[in-house]
Amino acid sequence: MNRIILHIDMNSYFASVEQQANPFLRGKAIGVTGKRKERSVVAAASREAKKLGVKTAMSTWEAKRILPSIILVAGDPEKYGDITRRFNAIFRDYTPLVEQFSVDESFLDVTDVAQDYLGATAIALAIRERLRTECGDFITASIGIAPNKLLAKLASETVKPSGLTVVRPHEAIALLDRCALQDLCGIGPRIADRLGDLGIRSFAQLRQFPLDTLAAEFKSYGLWLHNAAHGIGDDTVSPDAEDPKSVGHSYTLPADTSDPTVVQRHLLALCDKVAWRLRRDGFAARCVTAYVRFGDFSGAGKQHRFQEPTNNGLELFKIAWGLIRQNGSDVSLKQIRLVGISASGLITGSRPTSLFRKDRNVVSTLHALDKLQTRFGDRAWTRASLLSTNVLERTSGFHYDHEL
Amino acid sequence: MHALIDDAVDVIVSFDQNRVIPKRMRWDNRIYNLKAVNLIHTAREGAKRVFYFSVSDLTNSFKLRLDTESLEWRLVETYTA
Repeated sequence: MNRIILHIDMNSYFASVEQQANPFLRGKAIGVTGKRKERSVVAAASREAKKLGVKTAMSTWEAKRILPSIILVAGDPEKYGDITRRFNAIFRDYTPLVEQFSVDESFLDVTDVAQDYLGATAIALAIRERLRTECGDFITASIGIAPNKLLAKLASETVKPSGLTVVRPHEAIALLDRCALQDLCGIGPRIADRLGDLGIRSFAQLRQFPLDTLAAEFKSYGLWLHNAAHGIGDDTVSPDAEDPKSVGHSYTLPADTSDPTVVQRHLLALCDKVAWRLRRDGFAARCVTAYVRFGDFSGAGKQHRFQEPTNNGLELFKIAWGLIRQNGSDVSLKQIRLVGISASGLITGSRPTSLFRKDRNVVSTLHALDKLQTRFGDRAWTRASLLSTNVLERTSGFHYDHEL
Repeated sequence: MHALIDDAVDVIVSFDQNRVIPKRMRWDNRIYNLKAVNLIHTAREGAKRVFYFSVSDLTNSFKLRLDTESLEWRLVETYTA
């Protein structure tokens, strides 16, 4: 039986939430940035800003150059996270099969509750009304209804803002043929270029193209492309969040620096954040990746695997700093713009107690600090060496720092 | 103009269908009659839950913070058109 999938995509999400919160921003071109407005990007542009050429992920200086009158608003991740929880709770009132795809979009499988496309449309309209009354008039969504997630997402993106697009199974090909290849989630500029090299510039051409030639060019992705061109895609909505494969943080420094101490302090602060998330969720890492981006936007990164898993921020820092030094990126010679760390190779479960008292003391100290942080929040303690280092929360992304 | 502040304020609220609605605020010896509650959101600070009220009068937008442990109201942001 064909499933009936809703894709609900909040329009200009962060900007709409800001316009809901502040009536004096409504009807104006605004861009939501990171906590700092300079050296940041536009995480979301309002509809008015988009109409005047500002795009999501554009740097703030470029947005200002295109539209000098744009109002830049520092993002408020706590607010967006709370509204995201609120609208997903509304969705779960209609079906337990809700998959949060990103901070501002979710898939719902309404097959059993809706029974047919008319029922699904009624659910979509009811959800839209509840969004209006429970989140606010300015927080609107585009909704796509289709037999799988791929088509539902494509459908929701065809009409913005506040669109409602229904694509029944027999209408899938017609929808695809109205769209460009890059409109489909999964076909980015590089794949589109490679398809172009094969003479494929539309879904009709992709359908005609021999599958074995596609598979030879794209390996297993060739079958995915072939199926997508026929409107075939994944229709499984998974409500359970999977365990993370890695935990990481990166941070754009307030100013480019070649001072190793500044870089070290920010890296240590990031390592402590990563380590706390690992301990909170019961993980330890056996692999660390450290990376830097330089002032000229070139970058370098390196990974190290090790046997003894850790979730101690200081240990992560020692490994990460060693990697940055090894990387050939002589910190004292290059201006560093961004520093980042990712912990992977995650394992769960208890680990053997160390034979050494010093190690056992560290574990019990971290346990005590974790209790403190759980009770009083992430500002409950800091290292003396980091008192002057302020790592601001980020605005975009899925898992917000403020959940730490 | 947007400003980040952190001042204790006095707030008069009404309670309507399990909702708290700020009606009037005294800040810096001035009274502001709040015309609209535009958005309410919550945040966690450790085990503590904090409520934020985005409210406005005819010329200003305010963000108020209600600490549910101390029941203290603070004005944390203003925006003047």
